[in-house]
Amino acid sequence: MRKAPRAPYLLNLVGGPIIFMVLTTGAGAQTAAATPDMVHQLGGLQAAADVDVAVLRQQALDRIKSRADSEPLKRPPVAAELPGLPQIAFDVQFDPDSAIIRPGSYRTLGRIADALSDPALLQYSFLIVGHTGVTGRRESNLTLSQRRADSIRDALVTTFKISPKRLRAVGLGEEQLLDAAHPAAAINQQIQIVTVGQLD
Amino acid sequence: MALAACGPAVAATMSFEDATAILADTCGGDIDANCRGVNLDSSRLKDCLTRNQDSVSPQCKAAYLGAFDAIAKRVAARVAVRKSCEREATKLCGAAPKQDAKALACLLTATRGISANCSRAISEAGYR
Repeated sequence: MRKAPRAPYLLNLVGGPIIFMVLTTGAGAQTAAATPDMVHQLGGLQAAADVDVAVLRQQALDRIKSRADSEPLKRPPVAAELPGLPQIAFDVQFDPDSAIIRPGSYRTLGRIADALSDPALLQYSFLIVGHTGVTGRRESNLTLSQRRADSIRDALVTTFKISPKRLRAVGLGEEQLLDAAHPAAAINQQIQIVTVGQLD
Repeated sequence: MALAACGPAVAATMSFEDATAILADTCGGDIDANCRGVNLDSSRLKDCLTRNQDSVSPQCKAAYLGAFDAIAKRVAARVAVRKSCEREATKLCGAAPKQDAKALACLLTATRGISANCSRAISEAGYR
């Protein structure tokens, strides 16, 4: 049986101190320690999730090409299983329309690397999920979010030597809005890291 | 009780967060100016800053190699734990090779049977 999901925390480094906000309320910023909280939020997977990255990508693309669910407010998530899994969501600043991570987000990446290499999380594998807001073309957003998720994975693997076996990346563009009630909200451009599996 | 202290205190290597914060704080502007389009990659970004030594700020020049070195040292320290604690991981913890999670969970709570070498490696890796 899967453990009840905990509210994901959002790491926001834009313009000031590190703050965490509870996603489910979308408000009420509160200070919290960083890496230990991430480790806590990402731990405790009860059962490996059946997440097929290739299928997810194809489902998102098919939905866009068929012009289904064109209204963002009414768009169901592509990966309905993800919200129930241990996860964190955080801001990463990228160059515009690019997967280049801005120096202002290096610290965030370092903190993520600290968390993922914590002994308490070494047994898990993770899915890095890229998202975008609803501005622009849906297909372009899907592509950009995949490139950005790949970029985060690359940095974690090449710079911090997190095992590539533990990290997969998928971009969901605007097909799985983090705040579906507010499609234009900045929160919808965040990166998620979701605990999806356990190593043998 | 966790591992008993063995010999003089051993300093942990710098966390990835602290190392990347130094890089961003001292070189953020220089990266924007000279290495736009280069991602956070310890080889390519270091190479770019080195190639542009004549343009980067003095504070960046003084700090960037140290920041990358700190990241490399922590990575190496964590790899070293596997070798330094191989005997303990197998005999004390029953962990197969590369079962790092199982081995570390056991080693970090063991009260006896940990060699000084293994204990030092765990401390240097920042695992406690």
